[in-house]
This record gives sequence, C-alpha cells and structure tokens, in this order.
Amino acid sequence: MMIEALIAVALVGAFVTFVAPNRIAGKLAFAISLIPAGLSLWMFSAFDGSGNALLDGELAFASEFEWIQFGEYSISWLVGLDGISMPLVVLTTILSSLAIVSSWTPIDERESQFYGLVLFIEANLIGVFAALDFFVWFIFWEAVLIPMYLLIGIWGGPRRKYAAIKFFVYTNVASLVMFGAFIALVFGLGDVTTFALPDVTTAMLNGGPDGFLGIGGTTLASLVFVAMFLGFAVKVPIVPFHTWLPDAHVEAPTPASVLLAGVLLKMGTYALLRFNFTMFPTEVIEPFVIPIAAIAVISVIYGAMLALAQTDLKRIVAYSSVSSMGYVILGLIAYTQFGVGGATFQMVSHGLISGLMFMAVGVIYNATHTRMVTDMSGMADRMPVAVGILVAGAFGYMGLPLMSGFFGEFTIFFGAFGAEGLAYSQVFTALAMFGIVIVAGYLLFALQRTVFGPYHLETDYDVDRAPLHDIAPMFVLLGLIILLGVAPELIFEMITDAVDPILETGGEL
Amino acid sequence: MEDVFNYAPAIALFPLVAFVVALTFGKYMPKKGALAGIIATGGSLALSVLMLVAVASGEVYHETLYQWAIGDAASEIGADGIEFTFGILIDPLAALMLVIVSLIAFLVHIFSLGYMNAEGETGLPRYYASLGLFTFSMLAFVYADNLLMAFMFFELVGLCSYLLIGFWFRTRSAPSAAKKAFLVTRFGDYFFLLGVVAIAATFGTVAFAGDNSFVAAAESAIDNGDTLFGFGAETWVTITALLVLGGVIGKSAQFPLHTWLPDAMEGPTTVSALIHAATMVAAGVYLVARMFGYYALSPTALAIIAFVGGFTALFAATMGVVKDDIKQVLAYSTISQYGYMMLGLGVGGYVAGVFHLMNHAFFKALLFLGAGAVIVLMHHEQDMWKMGGLKDKAPITYYTFLAGALALAGIIPFSGFWSKDEILYDALIVGLEEPVILAAYAMALVAVFFTGFYTFRMVFLTFHGEPRSEAAEDPHDIGWSIKAPLVVLGVLALVAGIANLAPVAKLAHIDITFLEHWLDGEYGAVEGLTYSAYGELLAFETAYIGGEQLTVLIAAGVSLLLAFSGAGLAWKLYSVPEPVAHKERLGGARQTLESNYYQDEYQVWLAEGFTQPLARAADRFDQTVIDGVVNSVSTASLFSSSRLKRIQTGLVTNYAALLVAGFIGLLLVLGYVGGWFL
Repeated sequence: MMIEALIAVALVGAFVTFVAPNRIAGKLAFAISLIPAGLSLWMFSAFDGSGNALLDGELAFASEFEWIQFGEYSISWLVGLDGISMPLVVLTTILSSLAIVSSWTPIDERESQFYGLVLFIEANLIGVFAALDFFVWFIFWEAVLIPMYLLIGIWGGPRRKYAAIKFFVYTNVASLVMFGAFIALVFGLGDVTTFALPDVTTAMLNGGPDGFLGIGGTTLASLVFVAMFLGFAVKVPIVPFHTWLPDAHVEAPTPASVLLAGVLLKMGTYALLRFNFTMFPTEVIEPFVIPIAAIAVISVIYGAMLALAQTDLKRIVAYSSVSSMGYVILGLIAYTQFGVGGATFQMVSHGLISGLMFMAVGVIYNATHTRMVTDMSGMADRMPVAVGILVAGAFGYMGLPLMSGFFGEFTIFFGAFGAEGLAYSQVFTALAMFGIVIVAGYLLFALQRTVFGPYHLETDYDVDRAPLHDIAPMFVLLGLIILLGVAPELIFEMITDAVDPILETGGEL
Repeated sequence: MEDVFNYAPAIALFPLVAFVVALTFGKYMPKKGALAGIIATGGSLALSVLMLVAVASGEVYHETLYQWAIGDAASEIGADGIEFTFGILIDPLAALMLVIVSLIAFLVHIFSLGYMNAEGETGLPRYYASLGLFTFSMLAFVYADNLLMAFMFFELVGLCSYLLIGFWFRTRSAPSAAKKAFLVTRFGDYFFLLGVVAIAATFGTVAFAGDNSFVAAAESAIDNGDTLFGFGAETWVTITALLVLGGVIGKSAQFPLHTWLPDAMEGPTTVSALIHAATMVAAGVYLVARMFGYYALSPTALAIIAFVGGFTALFAATMGVVKDDIKQVLAYSTISQYGYMMLGLGVGGYVAGVFHLMNHAFFKALLFLGAGAVIVLMHHEQDMWKMGGLKDKAPITYYTFLAGALALAGIIPFSGFWSKDEILYDALIVGLEEPVILAAYAMALVAVFFTGFYTFRMVFLTFHGEPRSEAAEDPHDIGWSIKAPLVVLGVLALVAGIANLAPVAKLAHIDITFLEHWLDGEYGAVEGLTYSAYGELLAFETAYIGGEQLTVLIAAGVSLLLAFSGAGLAWKLYSVPEPVAHKERLGGARQTLESNYYQDEYQVWLAEGFTQPLARAADRFDQTVIDGVVNSVSTASLFSSSRLKRIQTGLVTNYAALLVAGFIGLLLVLGYVGGWFL
C-alpha cells in the first residue's frame, strides 16, 4: 500500500493546503511534500522488483483490487512499480518538493490555491507512473492537465490564457486520439476482458487483435500504434507537435515550468515506452522504425536550431527540451539495452537538469523581472552563486561528463549506433549527435550575453544575491545530477533490468 | 615498490580536493585558495615522481577501479557485453606525463601567488578552484586506462579552459573568447565522441591496453580480414581513428580548428602557460601518443596526422611573425609547435613526438610565465613595441626567457633543438619514400626559419634596445614566487634535451637515449604499449640520403641553418636602438597574415552569417507554418462556433422555422438516397 500512501498524502496535503491560510501555505506544502519524497526514497532503497511491469515482472509495492464491473469488462485498481517507473516516481516527488520551495519567492498571491494545485499535480503524476490499469492510468493522466492548466492560466505571464488553453486543448485532443485507439485495441483483442496493461500486453504479444469494426487485426494494430504514437508525440513533444510547449513554458510560473519540463514531458516518453514499444510486437513496429528515427533526429536538430534563434531564456530552455526529447526517442527506437535504458535514464536526467535550468532562470527573473537575453548582461557580478549554478546547469545540459546528461546521451548514442533493427543507425546517430554542438552554441551564447560581460540591466530593479531558499533547491538538483553522472548504476541497473524483457519478447527488430 | 601505486588515485584527487576547498573556503583563506592548490599540486608532483621511480624500477600499474556502467550490447566483432569503467594505467608514457603536468601545475600555482594575488584581484577563489579542477581533469585524463574515460576528462579539461579563459568575465572579450574556445573544441569533440561510440560498438571494449583492448581487437580484425559496418577492417579503423583525431585537432589547435587558441590569450597569462604547456593543448597530442597502437594500424590516418601537423607548423609560424602582442606571438608558436609533434607522431616517430611534447611543456611554460613576468614588469602592457631595454633591468627574467626562446627556436644545445631535430629527421627518412610526408617535412622545415625569426623578433623587441615607454623605463618589481618558477623551467629548457640525444647516438655511438629506452619499456612496460611494439605495426618504409649518419647530419644541419638565419634576420631588423616594424616589406602578404588567413572570418561567418540566419528562418517557419496550422485549427473551430451560436436567437418562431426547414431537408436527402425522384 505504499503507492496508495504516496498518492494519498499528496492528495490530502493538497486539500489541507487549499484551505490553509496563504501565509503558511508555502511552508506547509513543502513540509507535506517531504513525506512522499522521503517515502519514495525509502521505497527506492527497498525496491525489490525485477523484470518489466507489463511482461510478467515482479512488481514492487503492487496492489490490486477490482473496482468497476460492466458487462464482461472489468476495471481494476492495479498499481505497482518496476525499474522503469521507480526512478520516475522518485524524480516526481523530489522535483515537486523543490518546485514548491522555488515558488516561495515568485508566488505572492492566492498561495494556498497554488501550492494545493502543485500537490495535486504531484499526486496524479505518481499515479501516472504507478498505475497499470488503463482506466486508472488514464484518469491520472488526464487529471494532471487540469491543475497545470490552472497554474499557467492563473499565475502565468501576460499571455497566460492563450498558453494555458493551447496547452490544455492540444494535449487533450491528443489524449482523446490515444484513448480511442486504445479502447478500439482492447475491443479488437476479443478475449481480453480487463484493461490491465499486463493482460493487454500478453494478448498483444500472443497473436494480437482479431479485428474491430471490420478492420483486420494486423491493420488495427498498426493503426492503433500510429494513433497512440501521435497521441503521445504531442505530450513529449516531438516535432511537429511541439508548438504548445514554448508558449506554455514562457507563460508558466517558474515552479510550473519545473514540473512541466521535469516530469510532464516524461509522461509522454514514458507512455511511448510502456505502450508503443512494449505492447506491440516487432512486426507492427518495424515499418515505422525509420520514420520514427528520422523524426527523432529532426526533433534534435530542429529543436536545437529553434533554441538558437530565441532571445527569451525560457524559450531557449523550452526548445532545448524538444531537442533533448529527440534523443530519448532515438534511444527508444534503437531497441537495444543501452538505447532504451539510456532513454529512460535520460528521462530522469533531463527532468533534473531542465528543472535546474528553469529554476536558475526563474531566480534571475525574480531579481530582474526580465528573461530577455538582450535586456541584461553581467549578472554574474551581482548574483555569483545563482549564476554559478546556472552555468553548471548549462554544462549539464550540454552533456558534460560526470553529470547525468552525459551518461544518458552517451548510452543513447552507443545504443543507437550499433542498433541492428535500425537501418542506417550509424547515420542517424551521427546526425543526432550533432545536437551536442548546437546545444553548446545556444547555451554558451546565452550565457555570454546575460551573465558575463559588464553589468547592465534594462529593467529598473536592484539586483542582489538570491535568498537561500531560492538557491538551496538548485544545489540539491546539482548534487543529484553529479551523483547520477558519477554513479549512474544507482538507477541504470534497475532500468536495464526492466528494459531487458522488452527486448527479449518484442525485441530483435 | 608496487605498493606505491595504491596511492595513484590521489594524484588526481589532490587537486580535486583543492578545487572543493578553494571554492567553498577560498574566501576565508589567507591566500584565497592558493595554498590549497600549491599543497595539492605539490602532493601530486611528489606522488607522480614516486610513480616515475616505480616505473623505473620495472613496475607498471593497470587497474580497473570503478565500474561506471555495464550492459549487453552486441558489438560488431561478436562480443555481447560491454563494461564502461574508470581505471588507471601507469606506464612509462603516463608516468612521464604525470610528472610534466603536475610539475607545471605546481609551478603555475606558485607563479600565481606573485601574478594574481598581487593587485587587488577579485575572484581568486574561483581562479584557484578552476586551476585545481583543471589539474584534476588533466591528470585523470593522462592516466585514464580507456578511451571513454579519456574522453570524459578531455571534456572536463575543455570546461576548465572555458572557466579560466573567461576568468575576467566583466570584460566583453574574455567571455567571447571562452565561448569560442569551448565551441570550436566541442566541434572537434563531436567527432571524438562519435569515434568513441563507433569504437565501442565495433569492438565491445574501449580499453587502451591489455588483451581485450580495442587496439588488439582492431589488429586481429584486420588480420582476419573482417568486415566492420560494411567496410573493410582497415578502412573502418582509419575512419574511427580519424573521428577520434577530430578531438585532437580541436584541443591541440591544429588547422582548421586552431582559431580558438589565439583568442584564448584573454585569460590570465598563468592560465595560458598551463593550457599551452601541460593541459588542454597537450591533451590532444597526448591522446594520439596514448592510443598510438591504433593509429599505427592505419598508414592513411598517420599520413593525415603528419600532413596536418606539417602544414599547421608552417601555417601558424607565418602568422607569428606579424604579431605585436607578446602573448599572441607565443600563441601562434604553440599552434606551430604542436604541429611538429603531430608531424613526429604521424611519421611514426613516437619517441620524437613525446620528446617534443615534454620539452615544449618546459620551454613554453617558461616563455608564458616569462611573458607574465614581463607583463608585470610593464605594468600590464603587452604590446612589444612599448617595451625594450628590459634586459638589464630584469636579468633573471631575461636570461630565463632567452633560454626558452633558444629552445623554441631550436638552437643547439637547448632542449627544443634535440626534439625538433629528431622529428624532422624521422619525417625526412619516411618522406624519402612517401611524397606526402616529404611535403609535410618540407613545410615543417620552412617553419623552422619563421620560428627562429618570430622568436628572436620577440626577444629583441622586448628586452633589447632602448625602453620605448615609461613603463619600460621604470619596471614594476617582481617577487621570488615569479622568479623561482622561471629559474626551474629555465634550467629544464636548457638541459631537458639530454633525455634523448639521438643524433649523438647515431653519429658518435654514445648511447644517451634515455627516453627511447624508457618508452620502449626497458624499465617498466605494459605489453603492446612500447616503442618497438608500435614499430612492428607501422607500415612506413624509410630511406637515407647517402647513409644514416649523413642523413642525420644533413637534417640537423639544414634545420640549424634555417633557425640561425631566421634568428639572424630578426637580429638584423630588430636588434637596433630604434626598431621599426618593417611590415611594408611583406607587401600583399601583410594583410593576409595580419588577418590570420581569414580563418576567423569564415568561421565567424559559419556561426553568425550562416547558422544564425538558418536558425531564424527555422524559427519563422515554426511560428508561421507549424504553429500557424495549430492556431488556424483552433481559429477555424472558434470561427465556426461563433457563427453557429448566432442561430440560437431565443425566438420560438425561428426555432420552428429551422425545425421545418430541417425536416424538409432531411426528407429531400432521404428521398434522393431512396430513389424517389428517379
């Protein structure tokens, strides 16, 4: 019942915070969020699962009971963790706690509602990574959208309404496509009467669907694969479905950006791994391998080029997230242990690094009230510690060795280079890798303009050192980034353990 | 003696501790972190010397210390798993380099006491922390036992150079130079990383040494005639070796990725000394030496190394002759000298290349620190035309600088002569059989003349003649912490050549070739990593002019003659009471040289004239086309709903009319489908 406890603490905490006085809401929410963070760390250390959750793996902290019965179909409350979801749950709880602390400075109205919503997001995010029944999972998946919509729409920047609606509608329409496709698949499978993901996976790998509404089984599987891929592609986001992301990030308040880039994007890649690349047999995936690899490379390079053209610090980081997610897609489609394992590692790593970057940009914004590269220079003169962390985070983003980003990227490149199922894998890898040059270009350019050079600020504010509670969460993240860079096996071992069954059953493209 | 290796990790870890200490407590410490750095690098130096002694007593060390990641990966040659580890390899080459790096780092730290701590400089903890991290990264790189670990610390070296070149971040130029240094070398490192990935995916190992090294695997793949990724084994080895070379060309500032290095003079002069002599730039050439066995498998890759090296040696030397800033002259000399090392390694002259790496480390550190001393003397003036006459006012600086200059110019018996001569000799005997190498040799030979010229132009303008500014009339004092490192390095610049007097051995049969025996593993050795093992892999033929002794004499004689005539020309033009620039004599070449052959222009154009507009075009495309589609979908639905809502007028008669119209419409449709009208 550990997972239920995690979710319950966050949910109850959300309600408690919601009715608490504004004055104490931030501290209260932080105190509450420490409970799931601590619990999940304990779960991480006590983790005893093995194998993949969908492929008869030994689940950790699993629980199951029947929830709803209609006709011959039943919906169960089925949750549990394997080596893929465990690190993501820890990422979620830690990042939520830190995001709450990083809100103390910028959020100064309707605090209790704000922090309540953050805890509500946290509860649902844990649910997304832990749920193994489609309906339960989908409820959490959709429930994440609402608080995020409100965070952007209420506490966001000047164009917050546009950004919030765009975010909500775009990802919701995508979810609808994915939902319809999955239901069609389950009906098409015929003898499956539950929506439990392991059952669906077993049925898919043992013969697949018979057909639905007159569509043949093989065609149905392919159609559903494409529809679900598109549905998740918006969430990731993959080019060309990415345009909601920069708008959402620019308008979102810092902590919302931290969670958005840090965890919400990983929902997309996580779902791609869980559904598209685990459930579907090799024959279904095969025709799409080259297009997906191409789209991954395009996401990397095109995203990086877009980042190069930006002058808003948040847009730079937002577009570079698009680029980084391209690496993840490349790793997934490589279908090797290092490729898929590295992609999963990169989800965690990018969560930490992009979280750090958004926090650092936020701290500078708190002081200067601008994020435009052209509006400032020489910030290192006034905020040496915050800038130092920003520089460290930027190098983390560039994949500096001994920081987690390097391990993620290197394993993806290595896993993709020799991928036997991916034709021209060397070419794809070489092209995608060029992202590491462009990322250095736009981040170093931005650093040169904003934090170095003679001190200058267009806006009329006194810039002083950031308070400790702005700095501390960034130190925690930096510490984790270096820890995972030096000792990646801390999570890579459990990740590969959960990845291996995918490659064995569906694998060898 | 074996036990001493247990302390090997501390060699790199000491400076890492100094980094942490200086960063966290530097503010509160008496010398702002300098002492931590001095103690740490002193400790590293002592331990490195111990390692050297241990290797001299016949021991070597090759140990995996830490497993970074392990997994299944089907490699091209059939292995099905791979381990990525951190390990230490201390063989003769690594032991020698450890001593060089830690010695230079130690001296640079001491010099910094006089150079950086003197004049109210802020940010000293940051400076010493970066120096510590720099030394840590380089030392770990030097004794890395596998290619991936080497890459990782290679990158960290790049980070540290970024931090140190941009140390004076409040200026506009330093951050720009730092960015350029990182970006240009990162471009090279892109190829390096691709090479690492390719080698790992091909051979299932990245180890430098031992039975399961990628070098051994490549050798047997070539022997078996394997096909790797669709290429013949030797072609694939050439491709991957050249990919790794991309990183070398970036870090060692070889053509065409040399452009960052002159700009890097924006950093403190002490940093330049460290970067040029012992860390960043040295890392590239050291990597070639470290995995020389792999390059030896590919004559094509070696020939490319040799040619790039020979070309760069000349190319950079010609630019050095028109520079007015003392540090700029030294910067171009660094590029040129590393060209020599590349040439040496490229023709199979493993000993010669490493020998020059060592000598250059000493005399270039000396020259940069000497230039630093001059800059202090001159109250922070770097323009040589404002100097002059410092010879008598700062004799220690002058004589040590002169020793470095003589070594740089390759004047017998200073250290640089012996190593440069050996490189040229090795290039000549291979060149007599291989036209490409002969061309490389010819370029490097011509470069000797330019080297002699720009070196002594610098010496004469700085130290000789009459003072040409107030600062030169009344130089600032310099302390012991500046003088002591100069003296140590000055002595080394003079005597380090004794390590390998190859011509003497060949002419007089007096065997004073310690370094050759050292690198050949006559003391301690790791199997396969010796000079003779590499020799067996090399496919180059050699030839002599007349006989071996005559060739030695000709090679040495020609290069000495050129060096002396270059120096002599400088003496004639600039060792006069009131020297003038004489640049008009260069005619049309002047503009080209002063613009550095427009190398910066096209690279800046690639970044700002090509990539930036392309990025902006992509952004416009993204905003208008891709986001335009997204927005027009929502606009379309908003528009249609806004029109649709107009029919909800609230009047019952309207609704009734619509109902009737709808009913009629439905009837018509049904009727049409049902065939009533036919």
